[in-house]
Order: sequence, then C-alpha cells, then structure tokens
Amino acid sequence: MFKTRLSKILAAIFIFSTIMGPGPGLYLIMPEGDESPASVFGIPILYAWVVLWFFVQAGVILVAYFKLWSKQENSSE
Amino acid sequence: MTHSPILANTEVLGGYLPHLLMGIYMVFLVVLCIVGYLKGKATEEDYYLAGRGQGTLVTSLTIMATFFSSAALLGIPGTIYRDGVSFVPFALNLTVGGLGIYFLGTRMHLLGKARKYVTPADMLSDYYGGNAMRLLAALTGALYVLPYIIMQIKAGGYLAEQLFGRENTFHFLGSEYEMFEIGVWALSLLTMLYVLVGGMRSVAWTDVVQGFLLLSGMLVAGLATVIYFQSKGGYFNAISTLPQEALTIPGADSEKWNPWMLFTICVFASIGSIIQPGQWMRFYAARSVKTLRQSALVFSTVLPICFIFGIMIVALGARVEFPPEKAFPPEKAEAADEWQSNKQYKAGDIIAKEKQLYEAKSDQSSSLQFEKSSWKKIEKDLYISHESDLIVTDNAVIVMTEHTVPKVFGTTLGSLIVTLILIAVLAASMSTADSNLHALSAVLTRDVYDRHIRPQASEKEKTWFGRAVIVAATVAAVALVELGREASGFNPLKLITQLMFLAIAFSSQLLPLAIDVLFLNKGTRQGAISGLGFGILVVLVFSPLRDILLSEDAAASLGAFTDTLKQTIHISAIGILSNTLVFAIVSRFTEKIPQKRIDEFRQIMKGKG
Repeated sequence: MFKTRLSKILAAIFIFSTIMGPGPGLYLIMPEGDESPASVFGIPILYAWVVLWFFVQAGVILVAYFKLWSKQENSSE
Repeated sequence: MTHSPILANTEVLGGYLPHLLMGIYMVFLVVLCIVGYLKGKATEEDYYLAGRGQGTLVTSLTIMATFFSSAALLGIPGTIYRDGVSFVPFALNLTVGGLGIYFLGTRMHLLGKARKYVTPADMLSDYYGGNAMRLLAALTGALYVLPYIIMQIKAGGYLAEQLFGRENTFHFLGSEYEMFEIGVWALSLLTMLYVLVGGMRSVAWTDVVQGFLLLSGMLVAGLATVIYFQSKGGYFNAISTLPQEALTIPGADSEKWNPWMLFTICVFASIGSIIQPGQWMRFYAARSVKTLRQSALVFSTVLPICFIFGIMIVALGARVEFPPEKAFPPEKAEAADEWQSNKQYKAGDIIAKEKQLYEAKSDQSSSLQFEKSSWKKIEKDLYISHESDLIVTDNAVIVMTEHTVPKVFGTTLGSLIVTLILIAVLAASMSTADSNLHALSAVLTRDVYDRHIRPQASEKEKTWFGRAVIVAATVAAVALVELGREASGFNPLKLITQLMFLAIAFSSQLLPLAIDVLFLNKGTRQGAISGLGFGILVVLVFSPLRDILLSEDAAASLGAFTDTLKQTIHISAIGILSNTLVFAIVSRFTEKIPQKRIDEFRQIMKGKG
C-alpha cells in the first residue's frame, strides 16, 4: 500500500487535510470571545474553510487515481 | 394549504402535476423491476449480487444512491437549518468514504469473488471461523439496517404531505387516511415490490435512475437558492446576516458540533457507513476492481460537490429566509408559565437576553424551581417551531425549494422542477430503503436460515425465504413508524439525523474486523467476537435505546457519564475504540488464525488467488 514516495506524500496531505478541514484545525478559525466570525471575500470563513479542504482532498484523490490506482491493473477483470 | 404552496395549489395541469410525475416515476420503477426479474436467474447469488457483473455506471450510482438516504436530503439539511454553518464540515466525510471504497471495497471484492461471498458475515466467518462470528456479524448488520429502513419510510410520509398537502385525506373502504400514512405505505409497498421481484438487479437499476434524480435535484435546488438571493444582495451576503452562533462552531441550537465531534464523524462514521451491509454487498457485486476504483473517484468528488454546493446551500438559505423560532413543548408549558407564559423566542441573541432575564429573576427569587442550572434544562427542551408551522427542521429543503424555485424559474417550469426535486427526495429514501431491505434479506437468509435453520434448503426456497423477510421487515418498519407517531411516549429517536447516526454507529463495529482481515491479520476468532460484542454493547449504552433497555435508575446513572462523552466525540468512534481495545487484548492471549488461511487471503488480495 504506501510503497512509493508519491503515495506517502499524498497520504500525508490527505491526513493533514482531514485534521484541518473537519477536525481540530477548525480551532484556528474559531472567533475568540465576542468577536464576529471572519469572512473571506464575503463568504463565512467556516464555509470557505470547508471548500478549501475539500479541494485539497479531491485533488489528492484525483492525483492518486491517475498516478497510482490506474497503474494497478491486477484485479479480477 | 400552507405546507405545499406551489404543488398543492398549482394550476399547472389542473393541479395534477405532482400526481402525473409521481405516476410516471412509479411506472418507470415497476418497468425496471419487471426487466430485472426477466433478466434474473432463480439463484441466491443472482438475487443478491446480480451475477457479480455490475459495471461502473451502475456500481457508482447504486453506491451513491444507497449512501444518500432521506438523511442526506432531509435530516442533514435539517440539522444545518437548525445549527447553521457549523455542520457544513460534515460534507468532508464523503471524501474519506470514497477512500474507504478504494481501500476496503476493492479488497472485499477480490475476496468475495474468489470465495463466493454474499454477505459481510460470509467473509468474517470464513476468515475467523465459527458460527458465533457469523451470527454476531449478521446481528450487527441487522442493527444497522432496521433504523435505516424506518428512517426512509418515515421520510415517505413527510414527502406525501409536501407533495399532496398535509390537510388532504384519502378515503378507502370507509376509512380515512392521512397523507403521512399514505406516503409511508406507498413508499414501503412500492419499494418492497421491486426488491421482492427483481432482487439486486432491480435495486441497482432503480438506484441509477434515483441517483441521477437526486444528484441533479440537489444541484438545481442549490442553484435556484443562489439565484433567488441575487435580488437580495447576494447569497453569501444574506448568509452573513445569520446570528453569530449560526456561522461558527459548535452551532446555533444543539451546540454539538465541536471539532472533535466533526472529526470523529468524518473519520469513523464515514467508513462505518461505507461498510454497511448494503454497500459491502455492492463491493461483491461489482464487475471488477477497476469498477470500484472508478466508483471511489466519482463518490469522493461528485457527492461532496452536491452537498457543499447543493443541498447545504439550500439549507443555509432556508435558515435566512425562515429563521427558526423556539417554543416550549406543550408538556413543559406549565413549568415555563412560572416565569413567562408560553412566550416564543427567536433563536440567537434574543434567547440569550431572555436567559439573562431569567437568571436575574431566579437570583431574586429563592424558589429552587428556578435555579440557574434549571435554565439549561428548560433550554434543552426548547424545540424549533414556527408560527406558521412551516418548517419542522427535517423539511427545510422542501419548504425552501418550494419557496425559491418557482420564483426563479416561473410557476410552470418551477412547479415541474419542484416536483422533480421532491421526487428526488423520495428517490433518496427509496434507494436506501431498497438496498437495506435487500441486505437484511440476504443477511437473515444466508447467515441465519441457510446456516442454522434449514441448511438443506434449495436455492429456490432460500430465495423465497429472503422475499418473506423483505415483506416482514417492511410491515414491521411501517408498524414502528405508525407506533412512534401515535404513541407520544414512544419516540426515542425523533430526528432523521439521530436515526442515521445510530445506525452508522452499529455498522461501524465491523470496521476493526474488516481492517484486520484485509490488512493486519493479527486478530483471533475470540478477539473478533469479544471486540464486536463489546462494541455493540457500548453503542447500545450510548444510544437513546439505553432508556428502553435499562431500568430508569440504571439509565439515569449511566446517562451522566455517556452524555458528557458523546457530546465530545461521536458514538461510532467510542464504539470502534472500545471494540478495537477489547479485540486487541483478547487476540493477544488467544489462538491465532492458521497461517495457511492468512496466506490464502493475502494471495487473493494480491490478485493471485
């Protein structure tokens, strides 16, 4: 399973994005005290945060599919 | 008819547009069911796995449609409507789930094809050995499936109310039936019919149609919402006006969505959901590993897009357009009268002000009844209501769609699109109900009837037993929905989302075993049985079912501990961690799995078996 350098890098990015996106990384964007939640280009920061990490995760999966998974033509075909 | 302002009152086709489109949809399902029956063979494997030849289109859409239940289109948007943006990170569980299809599904497929598995218990009992393993795995599957079927059937009732008007009734053989009842029965009977007749082939083909409907429905509804808000200064401008607590974690109403809760849902519950019995059987039914790889890619990219840019957009829009209001439930009204009689409260800062007022009052008053801490109790009992009774949380998407789409697309086209979106919600319910009924039938036939009751049964007899299970499960699920509706005391799980998470917590308990079989090969039979049994027990103790299973005192004393923990991390993670711990400890001291068997499994997974 994670034998190549690329697979290890992709796994690390995916794990990192899962920690950041829906995980403890959310603490980084939580408003402190009575502060209002910030926004990015008018988009509430929490929503923008989720979109950002979704694109990171989707990117990892796309690269994995085209560079790693597609080369494994073992299978039961 | 306030509940269906467009559909029930529309002049399009003389008000019969919903009836016409619903009729076309149902006829189409019946046709697919008949074609599935004609193409099928009277064998157990064909009935449950469609001959193990499903291609990428069917596999990816049936996996997505099964995953997207009424919870996705009613429960989750309802939670976002209630709690705000705080629940949006939930969408990232889908990318994790997609990886689960690749890493777990492809291996399950290879083993299933080589060793002729049909159910999850086939694989686990083949690897660990013994009937206890099979029965426990079957029980876990059934525990997942039942709440899910109930949830979908309940959604059928909601939808009938929205499509045809809650106030309308139907007279049949001298009795009067409410729209909710009609929806529940119609969804159940139609779903039961095509599962019964066509088995996996019909289920998967109808899932393809339903999958297209629900994916496009979600995106169109999202688009209509964004366009609708353009005339009001833009969508995100409107969202930014939401109360502060609706824009950040842990959420406006339940205050439940802290980062650890969301993280554990995205990691554990997503994988737990992807190895539910219905999905697991789809991995066996796929034509090849390549099919599953492609399905994993589609799942992890398309589904989150539909969520983040579709249905979640609608739910947040609903929160802006129809701000939730809070009121005391009737049974608490008397207590509430003590300080302010039946007053309704706006969510957000007004609630906070009322709380301060209340606390000030409680300071002045020496009455024990109004201790500060009792505010929390009362606040917990507040439920979202609406002056016009328009939104009851789970129907946020429906109300919003009916509100925005006709304004964006005009009455005629709008009515058509709204009806299709509502049929998409129905499709989401049916596609999950059918898969779960089908999986339950497989589990009880293959793992219980075939192994323990009548091992000598013919293929044909087993198939007919499976069909009887489907009928019995459908009737039982409808009865539970009706019971829950009629008996106010019997309603342990009110919201669809709650039902969904409970079901997932049960199916998650198969995860440590699946990982061991597919990757680690360190566990033992005794370890697997102990771990799985303990995991199920933990989930039961942490679930609302605790109140039914335990005495009042025992439930209350456990409740203090379990409620605190499950406010922090998700119940599926608690179950999996407990399960894994027991599994690892017991495995360390018990007899190992024969190396020969481990090698056989490894060879198969390398594609050399």
